[in-house]
Amino acid sequence: MNCPNCGNKINKNKIHCEFCGSDLNLYRKIWSTSNLYYNRGLTKANIRDLSGAITDLRYSLELNKYNTDARNLLGLIYFEMGETVDALSQWVISKHFKPENNDADRYINAVQSNPTKLDSLNQAIKRYNTALNYAKQGSDDLAIIQLKKVVSLNPHFIRAHHLLALLLIKNNESDRAKRLLIKALKIDVSNTRTLRYLKAIDVPVTVNSDPSAKQAAEPSVTSTIMPLSSYKEDKPNIIAFVNLVIGVVIGIAVTAILVIPSIKKTYQAKENNYYTEYVESLSAQAEKEEAMIALQKDIQKLEEEKKELQEQLDSFVLPEDNSDFYEALLRLSQDYMDELSKSAKDRDLVAIADRLTDNIFNTLDLEMDEREEDANLINRLKAETYPAATKFYYDKGHDLYSDAKYEEALIELDRALTFDPENVDALYFKARAYHRLKDYENASVYYNIVIEDYPDSRRANSSKEYLNKIQ
Amino acid sequence: MINFEEELSKFIPSPEIEQAEDIIQNNDMTDISDIIKELLKRNNDEL
Repeated sequence: MNCPNCGNKINKNKIHCEFCGSDLNLYRKIWSTSNLYYNRGLTKANIRDLSGAITDLRYSLELNKYNTDARNLLGLIYFEMGETVDALSQWVISKHFKPENNDADRYINAVQSNPTKLDSLNQAIKRYNTALNYAKQGSDDLAIIQLKKVVSLNPHFIRAHHLLALLLIKNNESDRAKRLLIKALKIDVSNTRTLRYLKAIDVPVTVNSDPSAKQAAEPSVTSTIMPLSSYKEDKPNIIAFVNLVIGVVIGIAVTAILVIPSIKKTYQAKENNYYTEYVESLSAQAEKEEAMIALQKDIQKLEEEKKELQEQLDSFVLPEDNSDFYEALLRLSQDYMDELSKSAKDRDLVAIADRLTDNIFNTLDLEMDEREEDANLINRLKAETYPAATKFYYDKGHDLYSDAKYEEALIELDRALTFDPENVDALYFKARAYHRLKDYENASVYYNIVIEDYPDSRRANSSKEYLNKIQ
Repeated sequence: MINFEEELSKFIPSPEIEQAEDIIQNNDMTDISDIIKELLKRNNDEL
């Protein structure tokens, strides 16, 4: 150990210092008393009587400032109570007195090695000081907000608990203050302020600054106390949910009333269109079927004619002495049946008719019995082809007459009369052609034929007029 | 019964970490041993 007077190293069992002669017994008593207080402080710290431990440890250090153990423990207790700066101060001083083999090194490193935690502790201190200013200015709400943050940053900051509890008690929030004080009590079981506030929680807080007024018996709140609205957590907004449900119901109702009928109407219109189209298709199909039936009948009729002609042809016996005639007739008949197999617009019956006018068909002695079938066939062919031929040649002659080609028109009109001698129009226009050619004699002949043989025809009056002109 | 103002006045601001150095330097390190030494010194001086 070192001599407390001169600082030289001496044997601890010595009574006097070898260097300065100081009486070491007194110092030994002081040191043992310091250790006694340290032990008491340690005992109280073990049972969380931190306030009591602080008192004893400070006594210990007042007796012996070199009592490193007491100083380190005091630092620990300060740190446990949220007094970070006081704790660091004690550890730094401890390290100053005992640089080596000192637990204060470990404590300081533990705090400084976590800069985030150290910053949060510093923030807690600053907010506490700000809250204290707010409270002294009367802004209790702001102070409470700051202190809540402080408590969250440093849950062991007992002074912040005390100040917040005091403000809550003032604002008639005794329950919350009580919970806060119970938390503080768990940190320091014998803290007098905590115990005092807990005891006073059922008694209202007075704001009167006169010390003598606190001895008055009236516990009621004075007019200087302004109860403020306390902070309450928002309850779940049921009204908004109900409004949402009502809105959904209204939307469904609007849809049902306005939208669905129009959709139904559109659907029905589509259905009606489908039905109409179906009916129309049915009627079209019926018409097609009728047309098919009619065409089938025509086909059947033509096939019967073909069959009949074929039978006539097959039953036809060629006589030995007129093979050319029968060959021509056979060829003609075959050509006629070929024409019948074509469509109506493609048939060339005029050609058949022209061939019937050949001499070979006109020199036949049709009165003989064996020629009756031949005559019937020829007459049948003429009946089928001559009407078409007379119309064809009449149209041709009329066109030539219109083009003032009167001589060529006469040829065609004669051809038409060959197939139908009673073609009144052909007779009339033949007279007109002669008239135009100034052949009044022949014109008169044909005018008279029209007037006398066909007096009821539409050409008779005209013929009369023209006949009068040339006579 | 708690007097709010009186209790509030007992609360003092807490020193911040930046102020720790000043606190340490201004800390009074005098203990009983120093007082006894001072007394003995004065006694010796008087003698």
